[in-house]
Amino acid sequence: MSFDESYTTPDGRTIGGVLMEMRNITLRFGGVTAIKDISFDIRQGEIRAIIGPNGAGKTSMLNVINGFYHPQEGEIIFRGETRRRMRPYEAASQGISRTFQNVALFQGMSTLDNIMAGRTLKMHKNFFWQMLRYGPALQEEIEHRKVVEKIIDFLEIQSIRKKPVGSLPYGLQKRVELARALAAEPSLLLLDEPMAGMNVEEKEDMSRFILDVNDEFGTTIALIEHDMGVVMDLADRVVALDYGKKIADGTPQEVQSNQAVIDAYLGVAH
Amino acid sequence: MDFLYSVFIGPFIDMASAPDFLLQVLWEGFVAGTLYSLIALGFVLIFKASGVFNFAQGIMAVFAALTLVGLYEAGVPAYLALLITIGIMALLAVGVERLILRHMVNQDEIILFMATIGLSYFLIGLGELIFGGETKSMITEQLGLPTGSTTVDVAGGIVILQHIDIAAAVIAVIMVVALAVFFNITRIGRALRAVADDHQAALSVGISLNQIWAIVWFAAGIVALATGIMWGARSDVSFALQIVALKALPVLMLGGFTSIPGAIVGGLIVGFGEKLFEVYWGGLMGGGVEGWFAYVIALIFLLFRPQGLFGDKIIERV
Amino acid sequence: MFYREAGQYKTSYKEDSAIFPILQDRIAIWFYLAVAFVIIPLFGSEFLINSVMIPFLVFALATIGLNILTGYTGQISLGHGAFMGVGAYSTYKLVTYFPDTNVVVLILLSGFFSAAVGMVFGLPSLKIKGFYLVVTTLAAQFFLEWAFIRIPWLYNYNDSGAIEVPQREVFNIIVTGPDASVLSRYFVVLSIVVVMTWIASNIIHGRIGRSWMMIRDMDIAAELIGVRPLFAKLSSFAVSSFYAGVAGALMVFLWLGAAEVESFDVNVSFQILFMVIIGGLGSLVGSFLGAAFIWILPIVIRAVPRIMGMDINASTVEQLNFMIVGALIVLFLIIEPHGLARMWAILKQKLRVWPFPY
Repeated sequence: MSFDESYTTPDGRTIGGVLMEMRNITLRFGGVTAIKDISFDIRQGEIRAIIGPNGAGKTSMLNVINGFYHPQEGEIIFRGETRRRMRPYEAASQGISRTFQNVALFQGMSTLDNIMAGRTLKMHKNFFWQMLRYGPALQEEIEHRKVVEKIIDFLEIQSIRKKPVGSLPYGLQKRVELARALAAEPSLLLLDEPMAGMNVEEKEDMSRFILDVNDEFGTTIALIEHDMGVVMDLADRVVALDYGKKIADGTPQEVQSNQAVIDAYLGVAH
Repeated sequence: MDFLYSVFIGPFIDMASAPDFLLQVLWEGFVAGTLYSLIALGFVLIFKASGVFNFAQGIMAVFAALTLVGLYEAGVPAYLALLITIGIMALLAVGVERLILRHMVNQDEIILFMATIGLSYFLIGLGELIFGGETKSMITEQLGLPTGSTTVDVAGGIVILQHIDIAAAVIAVIMVVALAVFFNITRIGRALRAVADDHQAALSVGISLNQIWAIVWFAAGIVALATGIMWGARSDVSFALQIVALKALPVLMLGGFTSIPGAIVGGLIVGFGEKLFEVYWGGLMGGGVEGWFAYVIALIFLLFRPQGLFGDKIIERV
Repeated sequence: MFYREAGQYKTSYKEDSAIFPILQDRIAIWFYLAVAFVIIPLFGSEFLINSVMIPFLVFALATIGLNILTGYTGQISLGHGAFMGVGAYSTYKLVTYFPDTNVVVLILLSGFFSAAVGMVFGLPSLKIKGFYLVVTTLAAQFFLEWAFIRIPWLYNYNDSGAIEVPQREVFNIIVTGPDASVLSRYFVVLSIVVVMTWIASNIIHGRIGRSWMMIRDMDIAAELIGVRPLFAKLSSFAVSSFYAGVAGALMVFLWLGAAEVESFDVNVSFQILFMVIIGGLGSLVGSFLGAAFIWILPIVIRAVPRIMGMDINASTVEQLNFMIVGALIVLFLIIEPHGLARMWAILKQKLRVWPFPY
């Protein structure tokens, strides 16, 4: 298949052209090379999985994508433009949003406030109106509340709206985190092990939400996941990393049968 | 032009033209630095073992000195008073562990920090209630510490060295070596390092946190007693010293919270730096700059090296 | 039973996101305001108003200021005593240069000076975190203390080195200076504190307040979501020091009448931090409770021996005071590290379900 034009998946979704391209990314911490010369792309509207054993550089890769780490070499092309070195909040304002491997919710705030926090970039009313909580500021607050309520309905977390997130069970926290990421209406959503530590039922729920998000909002998703079954079911294309290098890239079936991937997961005598 | 001259050139000409005075200033800085190092050392001991940022370390030094002098004034012979004071510091350590730390496991750092401020209020009140609020002078001679001074001829002039300062430096070195040996060789030292690394992991291999904490607070109490004696010998024994004790904080910033060599080096840097700055540059700003110099130096330093002198580079993770 | 939201249905997001969504809370607030504005002035003694209420309100305002920084944004400061001083000294200079301007306006303006100073000393917070920040704020504290002594221009070259409050009138009522009546000072302080508390509550519940809390709870995640740490931290430092500055100006102009550098020393910074922690980090109600606890408790302790007819000399009482306050602080932190505000919330929860335990 050609990677330059849009195509339609068997289940009827349209995958567009390249949204983000990583070219020869190398990332070092002192003497340790976390990512070595990796190139791959993410296409508009697809679900792209990044897999690999522990320490393969997957999370570092996500951190590079959203500007938290700055690679020493290589370039990132986002929406056809080479991206300069930027701070994470700038990446966020370009529509890149993410969830974290270890839940990174704002523990001191309620579910509602956490999701409202996701809309920070969309709210602009100035300090004066904020001080009075009246007129434009109040209106803005209420408009965004409506959007947030839609997301709450979508992810079925109405009942925990006012609860402090610290008291929620793990699976729900993951879901709130997804809600927070969605609240920013991202064009590229990064999910770092969205199903880690979940039981089968919770995984099924989460998978359904991820597919729904992709389907309903057309959001491009890049996800890291260890559960191969989930990856095979969700992803359109998979890139596999090992020791900071890319070892395979292609459809789930191609990657699954790739000898290097099998070796990386099962281990071979070197 | 004149201003630039008086900032960048004048002071150095002053230094070069009167090297004996410069040496005297450096010696003063060294002595002050030793005392800062000792307070910082007490901080480091406790912070390493229990993660408590012990604000009361300076107060403990004054409290120990006050107890010692108070006992002597009540008629107890000097050496016996010293022993009793050591006993009281042990009691204090056990008390702190029983009554405070034990009940505050798993609390936020800031809460523990506040608790030590509460502790210092308590100690100030207690010390003054028992021994009175007026300033006292240290029983230097009675403890067999040297007094008087030696005049050394160097660099075409003289430098005056107070014997008590020399003694302070020697005792500081002995204490640091003794602590280093203790923590590196003994079983308790190994347990302490384990606790410092990870409380829960240490608990899981059967180390008693409570015991370690009491020991560490006792060690810090001994350091405090030594600091209090040396300090009291140079000036008076009173709780006004707590403001000076706060200078251990910038010292710790320079050296890092967990590094014993860091505390020493940081203390010396602050000691030398503030004396030189006060004497040669302070006049330009109307004097009295010793009060904030240490903090500003620590602040500027931290901006360029947030991990301190001996810390590893911080890599943020998500 | 008496306190619950049952039957109070919200039909719009506006109602639901109101700051006091529950009717009983709104009634309570009006009740407290009535007590403060009517009952206390009518029936309170001069001692109660001048030595208890005015300083309590001033410290509550300073505590709100520090709570914005420490409780809501997670940045510890031990420089707030000095920031109060900046407010006081700049009001003094403003009053000197603009003798005919309304003094209340000048007091509020002085907040901008302390906000500016606070932002300068807040800059390191972008790189320095946690306890390391304590040192940078201590640098502010000691540097400013030094400046208050060594720059005579700040106190108009007085021989005493102190600032003394001149007499000023607002709408023909004397509000500052030795001749100002207790009640007029009380009403000015109370009004300013009430309005500024309301504004603080509005900011905290809006976008800016949320961005502060995001920085507090997880600064990295906040940045990845789109909060600019520079803006969030500095705005918090600015607002926080603004409140401290106004509190300092109120303290000198409407309570003490004169002040020297000792009025703003590091012990004041500690006292305010205590009020924040005892009251509850990240709670406006807690700021008032903490200020009340730390300010009023010593007054009570001092009064106890007198009431019981014991003859204890003043310094002993002071020493006992230190011990008791110190011990109570430790006890408090052990029993309820989240402060009086959490106890208040638990009490309300209990009232909600009363007479049932759950």
